[in-house]
Amino acid sequence: MISLIKTAGRNALRTGVILFVFALVATALLALTFGRTQPTIERSQQAEKLALLSQVLPPALYDNDLLASQRAVPPDELLGTRQPSAMWIARRGDSITAVVLEAIAPDGYSGNIALLIGIDIDGNVTGVRVTAHRETPGLGDYIDRTKSPWIEQFVGKSRMEPEPKHWKVAKDGGRFDARAGATITPRAVVKAVGTALDYFARNRTALLTEKPAPNQETPR
Amino acid sequence: MMTLQEFRTLFGNGLSKQNAGLVQLLGLCPLLAISTTVINALSLGLATMLVMMSASGAVSGVRHFVPHEIRIPVFVLIIAALVTVIDLLMNAYVHPLYLVLGIFIPLITTNCIVLARADAFASKNRPLHSVVDAFAMGLGLTMVLVVLGGMRELAGQGTLLSGIDLVFGAEAKSFVLHVVPDYQGFLLAILPPGAFIALGLLIAAHNWQKARAERRVHAAAPMPA
Amino acid sequence: MPSPFILDRSSVTQVMAWVLAALLPGIAVYVWLFGPGILVTLTLATATALAAEAAMLKARGYPAKPFLTDLSAIVTAWLLALSLPSLAPWWLIVTGTLFAIVVAKHLYGGLGQNIFNPAMVGYAVLIVSFPVQMTQWAGPLELSATPLTLAQSAGVIFGGDVPKSTLDAVTMATPLDALRTGLLQQHTVDEIMTQPIFGHYGGTGFEWLAGAFLLGGLVLWALRIISWQVPLAFLAGIWLAAGFLHFFDAGRFGAPWFHLFAPSVMLGAFFIATDPVSGATTPRGKLIFGFGAGLLTIVIRTWGGYPDGVAFAILLMNLSVPLIDAWTQPRIYGGAGRRGKEPPA
Repeated sequence: MISLIKTAGRNALRTGVILFVFALVATALLALTFGRTQPTIERSQQAEKLALLSQVLPPALYDNDLLASQRAVPPDELLGTRQPSAMWIARRGDSITAVVLEAIAPDGYSGNIALLIGIDIDGNVTGVRVTAHRETPGLGDYIDRTKSPWIEQFVGKSRMEPEPKHWKVAKDGGRFDARAGATITPRAVVKAVGTALDYFARNRTALLTEKPAPNQETPR
Repeated sequence: MMTLQEFRTLFGNGLSKQNAGLVQLLGLCPLLAISTTVINALSLGLATMLVMMSASGAVSGVRHFVPHEIRIPVFVLIIAALVTVIDLLMNAYVHPLYLVLGIFIPLITTNCIVLARADAFASKNRPLHSVVDAFAMGLGLTMVLVVLGGMRELAGQGTLLSGIDLVFGAEAKSFVLHVVPDYQGFLLAILPPGAFIALGLLIAAHNWQKARAERRVHAAAPMPA
Repeated sequence: MPSPFILDRSSVTQVMAWVLAALLPGIAVYVWLFGPGILVTLTLATATALAAEAAMLKARGYPAKPFLTDLSAIVTAWLLALSLPSLAPWWLIVTGTLFAIVVAKHLYGGLGQNIFNPAMVGYAVLIVSFPVQMTQWAGPLELSATPLTLAQSAGVIFGGDVPKSTLDAVTMATPLDALRTGLLQQHTVDEIMTQPIFGHYGGTGFEWLAGAFLLGGLVLWALRIISWQVPLAFLAGIWLAAGFLHFFDAGRFGAPWFHLFAPSVMLGAFFIATDPVSGATTPRGKLIFGFGAGLLTIVIRTWGGYPDGVAFAILLMNLSVPLIDAWTQPRIYGGAGRRGKEPPA
């Protein structure tokens, strides 16, 4: 009896040791690979983020390290955000030339559409990209730059041009065209870009001064 | 060493008789999700094949040291570690492709075909046989993936090899074949239902071909009177 | 599960002929209110369906004659054609019909074996693949400045050189589209309903069409070709689900009458959900099947990615038929409950 328990105990110990050795080897392998690949992965990830930002910001506008300029923006109704979002500040030499804001169009056909909007110091749009959406494939997904160049029409637009009453899709008497069959999606994007410009105009000073991000409620 | 006959059997099983995608229907989740283009399908197929070969080789190499009761945890540990290594390597060196394949690379861990080969074959055979078996199985799966990807890409967007620039850099963009110029696009083929329909057609074709081959064998050997 | 149809071909033909006849009032109203374009669509769909049916029968080694003349392919073609936008391009009609007959009907084993309603599979394939073309409806003539003649309609369908302005002038959002769009723009239901596309109950024109399909459906029921359970449960499901939502927030959800008389519900309830092959077979099962389809229709219309949900709702319920039938199968051996002992062999 005793010897049986002893055997069982020895077996359990043996199994445990074997499992431990395997875990050790696997962990060592992972640690090694991780250490070797980490710098490259970090570089790829930064390059990817930078590539996205550079899609909404012409390279001539900045010579600073965009990624290092990131700061948080408190949630705001004009941005459609409920959580703090990110903002990047473009500089050329010593002067600020543009900002990149994250915004959300809450009224897409199937929920939120996440946007990245570049705005220069004078309030002109330098570029817009959709970073996440769930619009119907083939119908509303042409707002995605990989599907069609539709979103490029915002470049150069501002709150002056077109004036607010024309800041709509063509079907509603505005200046932005939208494809037949799907008007809800482009309406949502057009509206969100417009309100993001409003947000920029109202918080311009706060956004462009060095340190404190605008903490006070947006005046209504 | 390995005889030619053994070699043949392993390949026959992997490519046709026991094909993971068409006969065993193992690992369908990535098969259906990723086969939207040839490049995606080929990439995931090769990654899976690489995992299978290294996992089978490793399992076979240590098979005498693994007690029967804990073989599954040990195999899963080996597979998960290898998949993570491949995940890290792809993240570092083919980052754009890594973004496209996304969750399906780590999910190779849970692909039943990998564990199935490790447990059913590699844990009972010598390393060389195991690696060859994994290679044949992986190749069979990759072939199905590529054909499926080709069908869906062609029907869905009228191209082949789109996204090749994700692997070989922007210069490779000119390799994309626009088989049908100015194609309207048939979205169904790219969306999930298209994957099921295309796989169904492939399985049907495979069964049809098998049935025909069997009939021919019967016809060649007439029944004794 | 063998369908009763397989046994007697002549009765299949008779039933199918009655179904086609019952669709005629609907087609007549369609022509009257929306113009003659639908006749072109119906003809093209019928021709495609017959050609595909003949080809598939030949490929599967069946004799063409008794199967080809049983009219079932034509029923599928008509149901699909009536679900399509009235000026859909020809390739849309052909693709949808081919998919319905080749994949949904024959690849699943032919008449009596298909688990999904072929016409609805064709419709689903089209709306998923070509949502832009599938949501461009020619509006009712009453609201249209320049009604198209038969020849002009054929021209549009076959991609003739009809100026785009003409097409833009005749196409408009369906009532369901208009409702969804308006709601997303933060308008209330009452504000939206003042648009001319909305009529008394459903949509202008569309409500008369719904009425004509209802009439045809009632005829089929009177002739005992369809049972009452599926249509009644379907309409009840829509009525209750829409009524429930409307009761709680009339500003954000359309009225139940509107949903009943919006396009496709009557056609779905009496002609599509009643398909004996892909529907439930037991009386209680039919009630569950119809009610579920009605409920899902409202759910998809309200929260789904596409404006109408009848086709998807019916397909989803088709999928549940084996479960529903198993559940509602009458106990043959009496006595023992559902979890009762196995009857002695």
